Amino acid sequence: MMGKRSLVSVVDDDESVRESLPDLLREFGFAAEAFSSAEAFLASDVVSDTSCLLLDIAMPGMSGPELQQELIRRQQEIPIVFITAQGDKAVRPRLLAHGAVECLLKPFSETALLAAVNTALRMRSE
Amino acid sequence: MTTERVMLNDGWTCFQGANADDAAAYTATADLVSILNTVDAPIVVARRDSVIVFFNKAAADVLGLSPSDIGRPFCDVSVLAGLPRLEERCSQVAASGVDSRADFRERDRWFVVRISPYTNGDRQVTGTVLTFTNVTAFRGSIDQAIYERECTKAILNTVGDPLVVLSADQRIQSGNRAFYSMFGVSRDETQGVPLYDLGGGAFELALLRTQLEEMLAGSHAFQPVEADLVLPGKGPRTLVLDARPLSFPGHSERRVLVTFQDITARKQAEAAKDLRSEEELRRSEAFLAEGQRLSITGSFCWKVATDEITWSEQLYRIYEFEIGVPVTLERIRTRVHPGDLSVLEKMKMVGQARGGGHDFEWQYRLIMPDHSIKYLHAVAHAIRDRDGQLEYIAAVQDVTARRMSEEALAEARSELAKVARVTSLGVLTASIAHEVNQPLSGIITNASTCLRMLDADPPNVDGARETARRTIRDGNRASDVITRLRALFSKKEFTFELLDLNEVTREVIALSLSDLQRNRVALQLELAEDLPTIIGDRIQLQQVILNLLRNASDAMVDVHDRPRQLLVRTEREDGDRVRVSVRDAGVGVDPRSMNKLFDAFYTTKIGGMGIGLSVSRSIIEGHQGRLWAESNDGPGATFSFSIPSGPESVTNAAPR
Repeated sequence: MMGKRSLVSVVDDDESVRESLPDLLREFGFAAEAFSSAEAFLASDVVSDTSCLLLDIAMPGMSGPELQQELIRRQQEIPIVFITAQGDKAVRPRLLAHGAVECLLKPFSETALLAAVNTALRMRSE
Repeated sequence: MTTERVMLNDGWTCFQGANADDAAAYTATADLVSILNTVDAPIVVARRDSVIVFFNKAAADVLGLSPSDIGRPFCDVSVLAGLPRLEERCSQVAASGVDSRADFRERDRWFVVRISPYTNGDRQVTGTVLTFTNVTAFRGSIDQAIYERECTKAILNTVGDPLVVLSADQRIQSGNRAFYSMFGVSRDETQGVPLYDLGGGAFELALLRTQLEEMLAGSHAFQPVEADLVLPGKGPRTLVLDARPLSFPGHSERRVLVTFQDITARKQAEAAKDLRSEEELRRSEAFLAEGQRLSITGSFCWKVATDEITWSEQLYRIYEFEIGVPVTLERIRTRVHPGDLSVLEKMKMVGQARGGGHDFEWQYRLIMPDHSIKYLHAVAHAIRDRDGQLEYIAAVQDVTARRMSEEALAEARSELAKVARVTSLGVLTASIAHEVNQPLSGIITNASTCLRMLDADPPNVDGARETARRTIRDGNRASDVITRLRALFSKKEFTFELLDLNEVTREVIALSLSDLQRNRVALQLELAEDLPTIIGDRIQLQQVILNLLRNASDAMVDVHDRPRQLLVRTEREDGDRVRVSVRDAGVGVDPRSMNKLFDAFYTTKIGGMGIGLSVSRSIIEGHQGRLWAESNDGPGATFSFSIPSGPESVTNAAPR
């Protein structure tokens, strides 16, 4: 059916997210990589291979939205799904307005996750 | 000069050297004329009608009469014009045949003029003879004497103290004006009166009489004598009499000058002063007593060597002992709170310490018979008495009311602290949500993964086991967060326990981390490894640290041109204290506001209530510590607090 599995990269400073999320993504059938910071992701060799980015908003150093801007500047337009534990729903429309595919508030269900990732991947292929 | 016989009418003969007129009725011999001319005193002879008929050479030399004056009346001779009524006097002399004398001043010379009748051979008075005796020199010395006497009199009369001269038999000879005025007598009525009759006999004093008699016999010594008497118009007076001998050249009689000094005013002033200082002493004692009563401060004196204790009345009142009962340590012990008896012993030991004599202060409680408690604050000052013995003067203040209000204040502060906690609730909500959502997110993700692994064909049991384990771990993590939050928001009194400030700090940072990260604060931790434990209230101290972290974070919100560096450091201070400091790189503190920072309701933050630092400081002070702010060398400020380490830092006996 398909050759290469889509790579979903996770950038989050929370270790339990980095541990749990890639496993679930792999169960969905995606390839997954986790990074503890925006800088680490930018420094890696998977930026251009990433089909969807699951990105935490608040992180030490470069924040999620800043990474988004940086990728636009580098013309690496990766569909982004923000994930945040802040529980502030007000932040979601702003992020969507700035081009995010989705903003998931932790804790989110696997259905919501899968839906968001699939939407991102569809945008990527368009 | 040739002398011619000159005849004048009426038989007068004038012997004159020049221009002698016609011959007259009388002649005189040339011998007589030459005798008269040898006399130094001017002599002028005139007829009864005052026409000059003769003058001798001295009259020409001394008075400047000239030959042309012969035949002229006195009134035409200018030099004689200085003699008033001369012609009238001459007529009287001629008529009476009796000599007359008159003083005559001619320019700066004084003459005594003797006017004698001129009797001719027929014993008839036909004129007058004027003989001038120059008394200028004599007159000068008299003038001088008069002048000096007047001066002396004036001086004596100006002297305010009465003076009197006594004769050898101690009778009054003369006094100055002050003397007569003082005794209300006149010169005349006291002249020759014995001194002892004066002043109603007040001077009839053996000591005075003997001394005066001795002085009049040649002694110079005199011991002033005090006499009390009633003076007319002045009332009772006290006079001091002094005396000195007077002797006059050429007079063998000794006299005594007696002075009177009125010392009534001085004596009254002295008496008044004695009275006043007594009054002042009484008043200052009253002041002190009133001051002690008002300030509820008693005082005592403790002689260390003899254990003798003297109390002020107010101290009796504070202890509620009957005023005046002897104070012993035993009696004091019956009042001192059992928990503070050791303080009393310690105070005694400090006081008696070898080489003691240092000032010291202590606090203790009393239990009154009605079981109420009094808080006392005492300060002792060491002094040495005249014999070099150590004694303490101490002030003991009843600070019960103050303590009560302090406790009320502490209560109010703890309420405020709660308000502050609630106020920060909104800010913390995000943190709470983050802290809880993070592990919840892990739990759900892991559980989803776990189910998928178990549902797989074949089931991935190892993977499922691993994710289930992670689920449990995240569940515990969420539970920990809840526990910490519950502790933070529950209303609790101060709970003192042994604490590791590093641990306390780490817990707060764990709670604030997301907040800090959201504000892109780069946190650096420097926790000392050798930190001693402290005794304190974990939640309260966490409240303080949290507040400092949030302030630091807020201070850096507008910093874009440099890293938002936040350094949290714990360290051991000299003197067994532990310090926690929070250093930011924010906007810093305006030095002018530095002292206002800790005031309640002072804030530079929009929407801030301004009670965070105020409450923080009261919490730290409740831990006998201090909280302060400093500007950094670079950007930003450092807020630090330090509290004593060790279990003895917080005790019940000395809570201040």
